[in-house]
Amino acid sequence: MSKRIWQHPELPADENTVAWRSTGQLENTADFREWLEREFPRGAAEMANQEEAETSRRSFLKLMGASTALAGFGMAACRRPEAHILPYAQAPEWVIPGKATYYASSFPRMGGATPLVVTSFEGRPTKLAPNTLHPDHAGTDSFAQASVLDLYSPYRSTRVLRNGQPSSRKDFEVAFTALAKDTGAKVGFLFGRDDSPTRARLRKELAAKFSNARFYGYEALEGEAHKAAGDGKGYVADFAKADRIVSLDCDFAGLDPVGPVTPFFDRRKPEGKDYDKPASQDGLNRLYAVESGFSLTGGMADHRLRIKPSQLLQVAAHIARLVGADAPVGGVEVPAKSLQEWITPLVDDLKEHAGRSAVVAGSRAPEVVHHFVAAINAKLGNVGEDKPLRSVLTGNEGLGDIEALTADLDSGAVEHLLLFTPSNPVYDAPADLKFGDALAKAKTSIHFGPRTDATAHLSTWHVPASHYLESWSDTRSASGVHTVVQPLILPLYADCASELEVLAALLSEAGVLLTGEGEEGAASPAHAEVRKTFAGLAGDKEEDWKKFLRDGFYADSKYEAAEPSLDSAKASELVAKAPKAVDGGLEVIFATDGSIYDGRWIDNGWLQEAPDPISKVSWDNVALIAPKTAKKLGIYDKIVKLETPTAAKPEDGEGQHRSGQLVKIKVNGVEMELPVQIGFGQAEDTVIVSLGYGQGFNADDELGRGPLNESHVGLVGVNSGFNVYPLRTKDTGYFAAVEGTLVATGTRYSIAAVQEHHSMYGRALAREVSTLEDKKKGDFEQQLASVKKHGMDSHIPPNISLYKPANPTDPLHQWGMSIDLSSCMGCNACLVACQAENNIPIVGKEQLAMGREMHWIRMDRYFAVQPLKDDEGNYVKEDGEKVYDEENIELIPQPVACVQCESAPCETVCPVNATVHTEDGLNAMAYNRCIGTRYCANNCPYKARRFNFFDYNKRNPLVPHNLYRGPLGEKQVGTAPHLQRNPNVSVRMRGVMEKCTYCVQRLKDSQIRQKRRQKQESLASGDSASTKIGTPELRIPVDSVKVACQEACPADAIAFGNLLDPDSRMTRAKGNDMKSIRDIVGEDEFEKIKVKGLDRNYDLLNYIGTRPRTSYLARVKNPNKAMPGAQSIGKATIHMH
Amino acid sequence: MANFFPRWTNLLPFKIGICVITLGIGVVAGFTYYATPKTLAVGYQPSQPIPFSHRIHSEQLGIDCRYCHSFVDVSGHSNVPTSNTCWNCHQHVQQESPKLQPLRDRFNPDHPDFGKPVEWVRIHKVPDYAYFNHAAHVNRGISCQSCHGRVDQMEVVYQAENLSMGWCLECHRAPEKHLRPMEEIFNFEYGDGDVAKYVANDEGVTTTEDLGLKLKELWQVQPRESCATCHH
Repeated sequence: MSKRIWQHPELPADENTVAWRSTGQLENTADFREWLEREFPRGAAEMANQEEAETSRRSFLKLMGASTALAGFGMAACRRPEAHILPYAQAPEWVIPGKATYYASSFPRMGGATPLVVTSFEGRPTKLAPNTLHPDHAGTDSFAQASVLDLYSPYRSTRVLRNGQPSSRKDFEVAFTALAKDTGAKVGFLFGRDDSPTRARLRKELAAKFSNARFYGYEALEGEAHKAAGDGKGYVADFAKADRIVSLDCDFAGLDPVGPVTPFFDRRKPEGKDYDKPASQDGLNRLYAVESGFSLTGGMADHRLRIKPSQLLQVAAHIARLVGADAPVGGVEVPAKSLQEWITPLVDDLKEHAGRSAVVAGSRAPEVVHHFVAAINAKLGNVGEDKPLRSVLTGNEGLGDIEALTADLDSGAVEHLLLFTPSNPVYDAPADLKFGDALAKAKTSIHFGPRTDATAHLSTWHVPASHYLESWSDTRSASGVHTVVQPLILPLYADCASELEVLAALLSEAGVLLTGEGEEGAASPAHAEVRKTFAGLAGDKEEDWKKFLRDGFYADSKYEAAEPSLDSAKASELVAKAPKAVDGGLEVIFATDGSIYDGRWIDNGWLQEAPDPISKVSWDNVALIAPKTAKKLGIYDKIVKLETPTAAKPEDGEGQHRSGQLVKIKVNGVEMELPVQIGFGQAEDTVIVSLGYGQGFNADDELGRGPLNESHVGLVGVNSGFNVYPLRTKDTGYFAAVEGTLVATGTRYSIAAVQEHHSMYGRALAREVSTLEDKKKGDFEQQLASVKKHGMDSHIPPNISLYKPANPTDPLHQWGMSIDLSSCMGCNACLVACQAENNIPIVGKEQLAMGREMHWIRMDRYFAVQPLKDDEGNYVKEDGEKVYDEENIELIPQPVACVQCESAPCETVCPVNATVHTEDGLNAMAYNRCIGTRYCANNCPYKARRFNFFDYNKRNPLVPHNLYRGPLGEKQVGTAPHLQRNPNVSVRMRGVMEKCTYCVQRLKDSQIRQKRRQKQESLASGDSASTKIGTPELRIPVDSVKVACQEACPADAIAFGNLLDPDSRMTRAKGNDMKSIRDIVGEDEFEKIKVKGLDRNYDLLNYIGTRPRTSYLARVKNPNKAMPGAQSIGKATIHMH
Repeated sequence: MANFFPRWTNLLPFKIGICVITLGIGVVAGFTYYATPKTLAVGYQPSQPIPFSHRIHSEQLGIDCRYCHSFVDVSGHSNVPTSNTCWNCHQHVQQESPKLQPLRDRFNPDHPDFGKPVEWVRIHKVPDYAYFNHAAHVNRGISCQSCHGRVDQMEVVYQAENLSMGWCLECHRAPEKHLRPMEEIFNFEYGDGDVAKYVANDEGVTTTEDLGLKLKELWQVQPRESCATCHH
C-alpha cells in the first residue's frame, strides 16, 4: 500500500495572501520541499560527515563486541553503589532541602533594570522570573532570562590578569591600595549607562576625596537620545496612556526600551488585558512604525514605512512641519511624494489624539531626530505628568562620554582609569577614536568585567567582576523606581569584585578591597552602602529595609519630573551637519543584535543559539539586503541559487548545506567581507548588519581567520560571526554610506538558520483580522466571528479524528493554554525561559544547521503580502499577473510548542507507551521509557518534538567533532553550567525524545502545595477522619500556577490555567466548551461552568481533529482608513502549502 | 559408502552437550549474581558512621519522626537531620558515649572534621528519573510505615520494601490499604484497635482498610497512575 498523502483542497478564490518563512520557500526550492515533507532532512538522522562515515557498520559491530566483553568484567552497574546523604552541618535559615526559595532582585541595565524574582535551590540560583509586584513589571526578555547562565559560564573570567597574563589578587590589591591612598591622583571612572542610586551617591563622595577625579559613561549602543534630552534628563513612556504611537526607528518593544512595555501590549487586545470585556476596537492603540529593516516593534505595527536611515530626519521634520512644532523644519528637505502621502494621514491622526499619543525615536537615531521628536511631542501636548511621556531627571548627570575620555587620556588629564562599563570599549568604541591607543597611555587601567575580552587584555589589570546575582547593589527600573540588586550566592570565584565594593574600598581609610563575605560572615561592604542609600531615601527603620528586600523595590520612588529641554538652536546647527540622503546610494546600518546585544553576550550559549527573531540566523551575524536590491546588484541568484533543470541542488541549500555568499563591502575607508542573506520588508538600498560578533578565532575557523584573539572568548563565542565595529566612526555610529557597491567574492560561509526547520504545512496557521471594514469580509465584528472559519475550517465536518481520543478523568484540573497572536511579537523570551526551566541543552552551530535544535518552543516567523486592489475592489494587474503590495509586507510570529492534543497522533504510534496521556489532559513524556524510535515525531503534525541525537548534556557539543567521539568525547559533567539545572526536571540522554509538557513539574508542585494546605486545615478541625476534602479544597486557586513561558512573556500573550475553572483568564480566552470537559463534569455541572471563549480563538490545524489543548487567538490589526495600503493590512492569514 | 564424518566427530555430541550445560550454568549463575537488581533488595542494611538506633529514639523515647526529619510534610525530600539537631540533645545527654565520637569531632574546632557533615549511607533510593514526593503522601494519609516499615523497631535501619515501580503502583491502585487519619501518620502502632476512635457510630467500619476506604471517599483520594505523576 502506498503512503497516503493528505491532499489539501484548493484555496478559496478570495484567499490571496502570499506567505513564506524563507527565501527558499518563496522560491519553492527542492531543499525546502524536503524540509517540509520530512521531519528531518535526508541525512540528518544519519551520519553525514567524513569522520562519521568512517565509523562504518563493521567498525560499529567491532566496538560493540569489545564493549560487551568489557562489560562482562565490570558489571559494576548491576551492583548498587554506596551513596551518601550529607546534611548541612549547621542548618541555614529558610533553606528546606528539596524546596526552592525565592528572592527579589533585579537585572541592572541601560534603559531600566528588569525587576526579578530569583528561584534558588539549596543556594543555587537557577531561574529568573519577573517581579510582578513591581510597579514597572514588564515581563522579561531573552537577555534577562539568559543572564543566569552567565553566572555559571565556564568561560567566565575567574582570575586577575596583569597585562593580559595571569596574576594574583594579592598583587592587584597592593596596586589598588596605593591608588586608593593617592587622593591627588588623576583618576577616571568609566561606568555603564545603567542607573544606580548608590553609585550616584558614591560618585559624589569620590569627587570629594579624589580632587582630580573624572567620571564618564559609556555603552557601545548608548546612542544619542540622552544628548538631545540634556544632561541627566530623559523621557519615560507610559504606553497605557498612548492611543497613538509613532516609532521612528525605535524598537521599544524589543531592544530599545523607552518605558515598561506590557501596557502597550495590554492595549493590543480588543477584549482588554484580562479578556473580560466584549471585543471592541475603542481601547486598541495604533502603532505607526518607520524603520529600515524589520524590528520586533515594526512587526507589531499597524502601519509600517520602510525608509533608508538617512531619510529618517526628513520624515521626522515633515511630521514636525505638519504638526506645526517649534523646530527648524526649513533646513530639511521635504520628503518624496510617496512618503508625504503616508505622513499626512498619520499627522491628522496624531492631531486628533493630541495629548494621548507618543512619538518615540530610537535611542540610536541621530541626535537631530530627537530634537524634532521632542518638539513634536511638546506641540502635541504629550509630555507631562499623566501624559504618555514624562520628562524626568535621571541620576546619570555629569558623566562625560567616550570621546571626552579618549581626549583626556591623550592629554594626560586622566592617568588612572577604572573601567566598569559592561561594554568592551577597546573592541566596540568608534574606530576613529582609537580608544585602544588612548588606553595604552594611561599609567594604570583597571578593568572590571565578566569576560577576558579585548579591553581586559589591553588594561594593566583585569579583575573578574561579580555577577549581579553575586553582589549587592541598587538600580532604577524604567520609570525610576528604586530597586534592589540582591545577591543569591557568594561569588563563585575568589578573585571577583563588584563595582560598589571597589568604590567603597576606594573611599575607605585603609583602601583595602573587601569582596564577598567579610570576616565572621559579615556582609560585603556594598551591603552597607546600599543600605545607607536606602536610609537616605526612606529612613533607617529595620522593617522598611526588610520590606525593601522582600518586595525588591521601594514603592514611593520614581524619577523626578524635569522641564523638557527644547533646544531649537542646537537642532538647526545639527540639521546643517546631517548627512543628506543620496538616491540609489547604498547605506549600511549597524544594528543592535537580537541575540548578543552589543557583543557582551557572545559567550552565552542560550542567546547564541536562540535564532535572531527576524533573520532566524543563529551563531552568526549576516548582512541583510532587500530582494529587489539584491536583484539590482546582480547578487540575488548568488544568494539564492535557484533550481535549474540541470542542477536540482542549489548551492545555497537548507540545513547543513546552507551558506551565505560573501560580499565585499567598503565603509568609511575600511573594507571587509560579510555573508549576505535576504531580508524581507527591508528598505531598498540598505544593508543591515548587526554588531558584536567576531571577537576571537581559533585554528578551526572556517575562513581561516584564526588564531586571533582566541583568549578573548570561550568555546561559545569563538569563530562566531564577523566584527563590523571597525566600519563605525563616531559620526556614523548608527548608519553609514557604503562606498561603491557590494561585490560578490565567490567564497561562501556556512550559516545556521532555523527558519525552515520543522515547517508545518496546512491552512490558516496564523490568522489575522482587521478592525477596518472590508468589502468581502465585513466589519470588525463579522471578521472576528469568522476567525474560526478561516482556511478549511468552514467546510470540514467537526472533529473527526482517526486517533483514539484520550479520556482525561481528573475532576480537579484540566490544563489548557491560549496564545494571543495579537500581542506576541516573537521576541524569544519564552524560548529562553523554557530552556532555563526545562534543562534544554544547546547543540552548537553544526548540529543546529542539521535541524537538531532542542528548543521546545519553535518561534515561527512568517512574512505575508497582499495583492493590490483598486477602488472597485478588483485586482491590479500587470502583464496579467497580480501586483503585490510590497510596501505593506507583514511579519507574523507564532510560537509553537507541543499543543497537548487530546487525540494525539504521537501516542498511537509509540511502540513502548513512552508518550501517554495523563488524567489532567497532558500529553506526557516518560523519558526513561523512550527507546528513540522517533515514530512520534514523524507523526506529529505540529512538528513539536525534539530528539536527542547525542548526549548534548553530557558531552560538550562545542568542542569540534566531540559528539562523534562517543565515549571518548570530552565530558562536561560537573562543570559549572550543571549547577544551573532545575532539579525537578530529568536531564535527558542520547536517544530520547522530548517536548513541552506544560512545565508538569510546576503543576505537580502546585497541586502538592494545595494538599498540604488542606491537611493543615483538617488537622486543625480536630478530627481529620470526618473532615471532607473535596474538589473546592483540592483545586488550586484560580491561575495560581504559571508556566515558564507565560511568566517570562513581556506581552502577556500566553494565558495558562485550568479549563474546569470558569474564572481562569485562559478559560475566558479559550473557552471550555469541549466534549472532554463535558464528559468529566457531567451535563448539569457543565452548564454551570461553560464558557464560550473569545471569537478569535482557534485551534491550530483544527481540521485534522487532534483537539489541541493549546489554542491561538487571531491577531488583530487596527489600521487607519486614510493611510495608503490600509486595505492590505490585517489580512495576513497564513497558509503553507 | 565412505565414511562421511571423520572419526573425531564421534565425540562431538558429547562435547557440545558439555559446553551447553557449562554455558547454561554460567548464564544462570552470572544472571543471578550480576543482573538481579540489588537496588530492589529488601533488607539492604549498611552500617552507618554513627550507629544511630531508631528503636531507642523512636520507640523507647517516643520522639516524633518530625523532630529530626523536620520537613517531611513540607518538602518532596525528607531531610536527614543536620549535625546541630543531634547536638541539641547530645551536648547534654550521653556526652561520653564513644559511639558519638564522630559527632563530637564535628563540634570540636581543633578536629579536622570540624564543621563537616556526617556522611550517612543512603538506604532508600529511587532512580533519579522518578520524582517521589514525601509531602504529597504524608499530607494525604499515608504513613511513614507504609514504605519504610517498622523503623521504630529497627536498631539499624534497613530497606523494608522493594521500592520498585510495580510496588508503587500496587498502592496507587488500592490506596485504602494504607490510608489512615491524619492524626495517625506518625504512629507506628496504628492498627484495627484504633479505628473505633475515628468512627462515630457503627457504620460497619472495623478494620483499618474499612477506614481507609471511607477516607478515600471523604478526601477524594485518587492516586495517579499516569507516567507524568513521577516522571518529568
